[in-house]
Parts: sequence; C-alpha cells; structure tokens
Amino acid sequence: MRTGVVAVALALLVLAPLRPAHAQFSFDARRYGMGGVSLSRDGNARRFNPAYRALKTNSRTSGTPKFSIPIPIGLIKFFKDHPINQLGSDPMFDPKSTAFNPFALTNLIFNPPIFYEVKKSPTPTNNVEFTIGKNQLIMNLGGSRVLIPEQDFGIGSTSRLFDAGAGFGGFHFGVMGFLQYNVSFTLDSALRRALTDTVTGVRPGDTLSLLSNAVAQGGLAPTVGFAGRLTHGADPATDDGLYLGGAVHYYLGATYGRLTGPAQILVGNPIFGTTPAAGVNDTLRTSNKANGRGVGGDVGLVWVSGPFEVGLGVNDIGAELTWSDTKLQHVTYNTATGNLVTTLDTNHVETKTKLPLTYMANAALRMGTGTTVGGDVVNSGRGTIIHVGVEQRTGPFALRGGVSRDQRKRMQFGLGGGLRLGPIGLDVGFFTHSNSLSTQRAITMATAISIY
Amino acid sequence: MKALTAALLVLVAACGQGRVILNVDVLSFLAASDSVKSFSVLGGIPQTDSTVSRQFFLPPGFGKSSVDSVTATAAAALICTGGGGNVRFDVFFSKTQGSVFTGTPYLTASSGPLVAGDSVSLLPPTSVSLADTVFNTDTLWVGIRARIATNVGPNMTGRLRLQDLHLRIALQDKLF
Repeated sequence: MRTGVVAVALALLVLAPLRPAHAQFSFDARRYGMGGVSLSRDGNARRFNPAYRALKTNSRTSGTPKFSIPIPIGLIKFFKDHPINQLGSDPMFDPKSTAFNPFALTNLIFNPPIFYEVKKSPTPTNNVEFTIGKNQLIMNLGGSRVLIPEQDFGIGSTSRLFDAGAGFGGFHFGVMGFLQYNVSFTLDSALRRALTDTVTGVRPGDTLSLLSNAVAQGGLAPTVGFAGRLTHGADPATDDGLYLGGAVHYYLGATYGRLTGPAQILVGNPIFGTTPAAGVNDTLRTSNKANGRGVGGDVGLVWVSGPFEVGLGVNDIGAELTWSDTKLQHVTYNTATGNLVTTLDTNHVETKTKLPLTYMANAALRMGTGTTVGGDVVNSGRGTIIHVGVEQRTGPFALRGGVSRDQRKRMQFGLGGGLRLGPIGLDVGFFTHSNSLSTQRAITMATAISIY
Repeated sequence: MKALTAALLVLVAACGQGRVILNVDVLSFLAASDSVKSFSVLGGIPQTDSTVSRQFFLPPGFGKSSVDSVTATAAAALICTGGGGNVRFDVFFSKTQGSVFTGTPYLTASSGPLVAGDSVSLLPPTSVSLADTVFNTDTLWVGIRARIATNVGPNMTGRLRLQDLHLRIALQDKLF
C-alpha cells in the first residue's frame, strides 16, 4: 500500500505541470509577478481565441521573450528535504508513519514544488474528538472544521492536450486532442451537520450522504479554422484593426464515463445500537467503443487600436457528442461481503454528452512609457478566474504587479521584477495562492530565464 | 459492511496530524437494570460477587490505530439498607465477554465498613493506561462488579447505582 501511495504521489508530481496549464498559468515568472495575467499574445490567447492566429505573436509587444526557462529552485529544496532514494520511507509519503499528514501530501500535489515556497500554508494538525454515547455521536474537528465545504467541491477542466496543424491564407487545418473532466462532490445537510455541529452532531436515524457526480470524456477533433483581418487602421503596416477567427471541430470521442449517485451512511437508532451500515447506489455510464461523434466550434474577435487591444474567444460552442454504443450499470454496495457490485442495466444504448462552454476575454493597454496594463477573464470549465496586472519597464529593469480572483473566489496577489541584459533576462515573481487545503494563503517565488 | 463508515470516520480523523480522541459515555450503553443493582447477601459471607457485563461500540475504522492512552473515570453510589459489611466496586474492560472479569480492574473503590442506613459515594481514582491494546477494536465489553463481604448477623441488603462511567481514548490514527 505504501508503495502504491508513493507511486501515485510521484506520478501526480510528474503530471503536476499540467495543472498550471489548466489554471491558465505557465512557468513564466513574469506572468506570476503580474497576478497571472499574460500581456503577450501567447499560446493561451490562441488556445481560447482563434482570431489571434491572424496576429503576429510578438508584434509591438516589446519585452515579450521568445520563451522562458523556469529555474526550479523549489525542486532543489524539495529533494534536499526529501532525498529521492528515501522517498519510500519518507514520512510525507508513508501513511504508516506517525508524522504522516494527508493534508501535507495533498498540498504537495496541489502545489507542486517547482518554485520556491516563501511562505507555506499551514496544514491542520489539531486533535479530532469524537463524543460517543449509545445515542450520541459528535465530531469536533477543531480548526480543521473550516475545511468542510459548504457547497459542492471538486476538480474539473476542459483541456486541449495538443493542437497540431498547418495553414495558408488565413485557413488552418489540423487536429487537436481534447479532454474534459469534472469531478464534484456535495455533502448533504445531514453529513455537513455531522461534520461541523459540535452540539447536536449525528442524529439517530440520519442518512449521511456524499453525492458524487463525475464525468470524463476525451478524444481527437479534426479542425478547420479561419482567421483574418476584417478592417485596417489608418496605417496598414500596424496591427490596428478588427480580427475575426473561427474554427469548426469534428469531435471523435475515444472514451467516456460518468458516475452519479450517493455514498451513504445509514445511522442506526439508537446511533450505536448496531454498527452503522453503508450504502452506495450509483449509476455508471461508460462507452463500449471509441464512437463518440459531434460537431462544435470556436469563435473569436480581437480589436487592436494603437496601444489598446481587446479580445474575446469562446470555445466548444454547441459541442454535443453522440455516443452510439454505451452501457448503463448500477453500482451498489454489498453489505454482506463489503464489496462494490456492478450490475448491467442496459447495454448498447445511445448517450449524448456536452462539452462545457469555455471562454477568455482579455484586454491590454500599452501606454508608450514602458507601462503595460492588462487583464483577462478565463473560464476553462469550472469557475471563472480574473487576472489584472501591470508591467513598468525602465531600461533593462522591469517592475510588475497584479491581482487575481481564483476559482474559489479568493483574491490573490502578485509582485515581481526583471532584469534584461541583451538577449537574456532574469525574472522573479512572487504570488499568493489558496490552492492548498488551508484557509491561509501561501506565497511562492517563481524564477525564470527569458530568452529574447 | 462498515467499510464506508470506517473510511469516512478515519478520513475525518485524518484532518491533521493530531490525535483522535474518543470520549465515550460507557454508562449510556448500559440498560437501566444494569446500572442499578440491588443485592441481598447472607450475613457472614467472606466474599461474593454481583456482576454485569455489556458490549458497547466504538466508531469503526480505528482498529489499526495505536492507542496512546486510555483514561477511565467512574462514580457510583451505594446504599446499605440492612445488615453490614464491605463492598468493593470494580470496573473492567475487555475485547471478549469471556475475559471481562479476569485480570486487574481498571477502576476500583471500596466502601469501607457499612451498616444499615449508610450511604456512600464510590469514586475510584482515575486510571490512566498507556499503549493499551484492549482498546484497539470497534467493540468492547465493560464489566461492573460489586464484591461483597458481609458481617456475621442479618443479611446485608442494599443498592449500588452506577452514576458515571467515561472513557477517554487517545489514538494515533493510521490511514492504512
């Protein structure tokens, strides 16, 4: 079991760079220093807004590097604290260790130690008390109680794993890989009361339910797109004008699965008259073959006027996939054997799924005095993220700052600076985040070398 | 049957690196007839026992946890309505019913010499046991024993009422 936990944790660490991509973050320290906003026409803008294909990436965006190379100071410290040849017995990964803290491990997964943690978010370490009588069960989670979610919680995103192709004359032909997943859980009122109410706690005869809704689908999508300039400014040599882009995708779904239903604890009356029973009554839909088919599209607009630029891109419009061969199963809990039992309900039936609409709106103003202000609003499938940032360049120096509102609707802050010496620059960005299982913000320092 | 319940409770308990503390009202698991015992014992009997044992439950899932400490407290009231003698009040805990009354009691208190009309409170000193594997389980047995020695003369009659019996079990929980 320990080996499995370590393996999973390490696999997640390896995959962790994907997560910043989902959150529309990058390894660009400049971006971190501006609260997460990107002031350049980078891949993130093109991913959401096909009109950006008609604009040059670096045109008139002075100070935009060709690429950034992250300096993984966090990894150096991590492997110093957790020697790679001792990970198997490391208390962080060893549930049998008395020092093992599942929250610390979760925080590590949520916040991969690529960059240096200036201030770590504290993990709860309080005692947990159960008050038990024949007809009484009260759980006092202490300071950890604030972590019990009041609304649904989970993870989800719509990603384009790759987007390869070529084009001419404004047209673009290619194929992209898509992956959409959303896993959400909701605690019903009885379960939430059981976990948070230190006076009443669990009531006799309660049914404590954890409602789950998990969906995942992925595949390939051949794509035809067009991006062009509709209007010019006074000087056609500049980027001024209105740009329009669009793309049509033919989705070829490879696999699909959806699990919905409750996991329950049936409390006895009296509560400890007998051992509480557990129940699962879920519905599982899965594809039998890689046969999802559907059509959807992206549209985008960009308007550039002198120092001002604004864009809006919307993805997966009308994207509905029809899976012609799926099966419906019921998942129940066998109280006698303690095992989950799957029974087939219907097979070879058609199921339709939708990809959530995702979008990004962005704006930037280059003031001509070395100052650039920008912001964006991004929804990649689970909540809206807002970034606003500013960069001031003076000679070889740059000063940056920004704020953002994350998916949990918490304000975050960024501050950074940079030094450019010819074709090479060094950038540092500090940013706060609340991705951890903690009520307090952590501060991370990102460092990167930029190549101009 | 209890896997999900155990998983939830253990995950709840895993909210941090601290300990899991179970405050158990053992008295609540006893029937009214268990917590009040009347007795009538012939005079001149050097030792006789009146006992009751009952099973009670702990939250499932902590079987693999290590027990740091167990603190037991109890209180009882004894009324002597006839005759005279001594009563010793003992409390035992065990994983199985068959072994409840073997070994040393966790709590013990003696009434001292009693005569008809006496009423005493029995307040055994709080006991603390460390790393006690008896409590490494989901179900436990509690045993209450009144060990009676009577004076020569009329029958000793009276009533023992258990007023409080609590356990505080501190566990170092293990997830797997």
